[in-house]
Amino acid sequence: MGDLEQLILFAVLQLGDDACGVTIRESIEDRTGRVISSGAVYTTLGRLESRQLVVSRAEEAEPGRPGRPRKYYNLRPAGARSLLHAYSALQARAGTLLPDLTDLAEQ
Amino acid sequence: MAARDPDPPHGILSRIAALLIRGPDAELIRGDLDDLQARDLARGITPWQARLRYARNMVASALRVAVVRLRLPDVPRISALDFKLGFRMLVRYPGLTLVGGCAFAFALAVGAGTFEFVTDLVYPRIALDEGDRIVELRNIDTTTREPERRTLHDFGVWKAELGSVVDIGAFRELDRNLTDEEGRLEPVLGVEMTAAAFRVARVKPLLGRTLQEADEQPSAASIVIIGFGLWQNRFGADPEVVGQTVRLGNTAATVVGVMPEGFAFPYFHELWAPLRLNPLDYARSAGPEIRVFGRLADGVTFAEANAELSTIGRRAALDSPETHERLRPDVRFFAVSEFDVSGISLSGFYSTSALFLAMFVVVVCANVALLLFARTATRESELVLRNALGASRGRIVTQLFAEAVVLGAVALVAGLGAATIGHRWAIGVLAQDGMRLPFWFSDSLSPTTVWYAVGLTVLGACVAGVVPALKATGKGARGGPGRATGSTSGLRMGGLWTGVIVTQVALTVFFVPFVIILGIQMAQIGATELGFPAEEFLSVRVEMDPKSRLGEGAESRGDFLARFGESYRELQRQVAAEPGVAGVAFALQLPGTYYRRGWIEVEGVAPPLAELGHRAQMGTVDTDFFDVLEAPVLAGRGFDAADLESGARVVVVNESFVDGILGGGNPVGLRLRYLNPTDRGSLPSGDQPPGSWYEIVGVVQQLAMTIDPDLPLGHGLYHPMAAGSEHPVRMAVHMKAGLAAFAPRLRELAADIDPALRVYEPRPLDGVAADAMLAYEAWFRVLIIGGVIALLLSNGGIYSVMSFTVSRRTREIGIRVALGADRHRVIGAIFSRAITQVGLGVLVGVGLFVVFLLQVLGSTITPSVTGAAVVLLYMAVMAGVCTIACIVPMRRALGVEPTEALRGDG
Repeated sequence: MGDLEQLILFAVLQLGDDACGVTIRESIEDRTGRVISSGAVYTTLGRLESRQLVVSRAEEAEPGRPGRPRKYYNLRPAGARSLLHAYSALQARAGTLLPDLTDLAEQ
Repeated sequence: MAARDPDPPHGILSRIAALLIRGPDAELIRGDLDDLQARDLARGITPWQARLRYARNMVASALRVAVVRLRLPDVPRISALDFKLGFRMLVRYPGLTLVGGCAFAFALAVGAGTFEFVTDLVYPRIALDEGDRIVELRNIDTTTREPERRTLHDFGVWKAELGSVVDIGAFRELDRNLTDEEGRLEPVLGVEMTAAAFRVARVKPLLGRTLQEADEQPSAASIVIIGFGLWQNRFGADPEVVGQTVRLGNTAATVVGVMPEGFAFPYFHELWAPLRLNPLDYARSAGPEIRVFGRLADGVTFAEANAELSTIGRRAALDSPETHERLRPDVRFFAVSEFDVSGISLSGFYSTSALFLAMFVVVVCANVALLLFARTATRESELVLRNALGASRGRIVTQLFAEAVVLGAVALVAGLGAATIGHRWAIGVLAQDGMRLPFWFSDSLSPTTVWYAVGLTVLGACVAGVVPALKATGKGARGGPGRATGSTSGLRMGGLWTGVIVTQVALTVFFVPFVIILGIQMAQIGATELGFPAEEFLSVRVEMDPKSRLGEGAESRGDFLARFGESYRELQRQVAAEPGVAGVAFALQLPGTYYRRGWIEVEGVAPPLAELGHRAQMGTVDTDFFDVLEAPVLAGRGFDAADLESGARVVVVNESFVDGILGGGNPVGLRLRYLNPTDRGSLPSGDQPPGSWYEIVGVVQQLAMTIDPDLPLGHGLYHPMAAGSEHPVRMAVHMKAGLAAFAPRLRELAADIDPALRVYEPRPLDGVAADAMLAYEAWFRVLIIGGVIALLLSNGGIYSVMSFTVSRRTREIGIRVALGADRHRVIGAIFSRAITQVGLGVLVGVGLFVVFLLQVLGSTITPSVTGAAVVLLYMAVMAGVCTIACIVPMRRALGVEPTEALRGDG
């Protein structure tokens, strides 16, 4: 799983029922400082959905008021497992190296 | 869960996003772009920063979506090294840089310049503080769908009752002669306006003051405010101008202020006087015509203002059904476009224009891509080695894209510079052509246009950089490290490039003749004698206001023409009596300017196309016209006073008419008639009977009748006219010397006869002809540049194909020559494909040209053996020109030594 996919899955998890393109993008920017294009958010979400890691629901505009629809995303159990696996793998890989890495970075 | 804002904050960026971002998620992405934009603005980010963030997100999203949809390799980040390498490539391949850069720059210049003009035309923006909130209030007649401008009474009501529009004011045109303290007199484009105008515009005066409500009282002193240009040109930028007395028509007025440069509210005006019309004095739908404007109150939308105005309108309809039942008031943006394209909405026209220009850039850049592909082919070894060392396809594509971006950036700078110059020049040409453009037509490029040009550059770079890169790194092109030594050949000039070559050769062959034809016609027109000593004639346009426009009551068209005729005759009499004046005449058109065309039938003379008849130009002239212009009558007689009587139907024809239509001889006594009497210029359809017969009473020496290179006909006929039968007219004053000095005197004479009689555009008649040529010269220059670029690109493309072929097949040439094959036959076989492409392109181009000549210009040309020979000759020349591009690669191929070619086999 790529790092962008992980970031987006974490954002979907964090935002709960409010996870849509705009909020996901803002959440990632706020927490990591990384600016991702809206196109990247949706193409990645599309990929995650096709792998059944997230599920989407379309919300139409409010009745009587024109506007574009929005799409909201939720994490599926398979997505949670994949994210957990990816995170655990990274932790396991870092393992005891973290202090060394910190020392090296501080030099 | 909140719905999205239905009014995205950035119309133009949204439209570009709609063009660039496609696919199933496009709507979601565009919605996000708008939402993020709104959030940015809510967070206090400046509008420009917000736009920048929007544009970045849009471009990145478009690329991302395209990469995923087209299953392209992932796009790695572009590094500074990529750009550095791009610059190095520009220097290393100067020929390609020059040809490709010029073509790219030309495409961007045409794209940006046209886009700017279309934007000004379709979505004008008023460059005043909150100019987008300045509105016009009007009544629309629902039966005619035309605005009813007699709204003085309603203006009073709106001013008193409307809360959603503030600073409501009104104006009406005030074209008058302005006489300064030294007695110099010239017409000015003025406007009578209420004081609210200056509050709406929010512009402070440069000197003195603006209008005040007290100035609108009938008892107040007469005052005027002048514009910057008027102050500079007529008052020598005199800092003491405030307080000076001028005469406006026959009224003395004091100058109380000078407005700063660029101020021309409401449209293109240079003088402002108070509007002294009391709405209470007029009944509904009565009084002079005015236009009403105002500013939307803070926080009020157009819909809210329209709703309030509609309520007032409904009440007026109930109170005065006889005048207001059919009227519907509305509020609209003041600078709303009056531009109308039948059957197409403005937004549709705008999007189509933007798309068409983008397509134009794509087509030009496809040609640049061909050059870059050939350059890439020469670097095949480098690419293969980089691939073998671990560089992904995406990395290599990114690098080649960066190189195209560098070329595009250089072209962008040049293209924007050229677009700015071209835009200013076009506006200047329109102004010289007599067209008055509103003040919101800026002569510089707007930020929107610059962004659009940046978008076009990225698009062009994608076409010119990414397409060749994908071709060069595609499956067919990738090979083992052995290719790095050049021992095997992977790249091929496939069908895509063949298509590009054939198309560009065809377009060049098709395009160049038009430039040549236009050039020949321009030269012919330039060399055409006007037929009289035009430099001895002063030309002016004489106009007068009807009383209804002056607010002096109603006046029928007939009454107005009679009044104009009387004043004009007196003016002509006084001018003729001036010392140094040898003669005075008038006409609707003067030689060297545009004459209308009509389809006619000449009794007993068969036309080339029976159903259409003959085509001739029509002049309408004073009975003394030929005498004053010293144009001798060669047969029959000229006009006399009896010809003006209602029953007299006579015409005088010119020499060209006799030679070209009648085939020589004496035409006096022959009759002619218009095939479409109600609309003489339109093609006869046979639906209506021909008009009455006119008798030819004389033949006059040729006076230049046309200045239109599209239709260089000189066959003309003249009708007689009396003063007062048409308005306005052009006066020609014959004097041997002192033309320039006589113009002010002419204006004085006119103003003394009637202050409403105005004299415009005084200039020698030879200058009038030259001005009429400006637009054609402008068009010709653009075509020449386009033709040269097309020719360069075409030949550059052919050169690239040839060079590519030689570099790909050097070994083959060497081996075949080593085995004893005839060198020239080998070269012929190898180049046959390229020669075929050139030949095919020339054939297609000539075919298109011939079809165009026959179908579009069919009615104005006659097929002939000479014409066919010229086409064949041109075809041979173009084939020769294209073959020249083959010479260098051919020489290189002929110089291939078998031993050297085989050495690479290592």
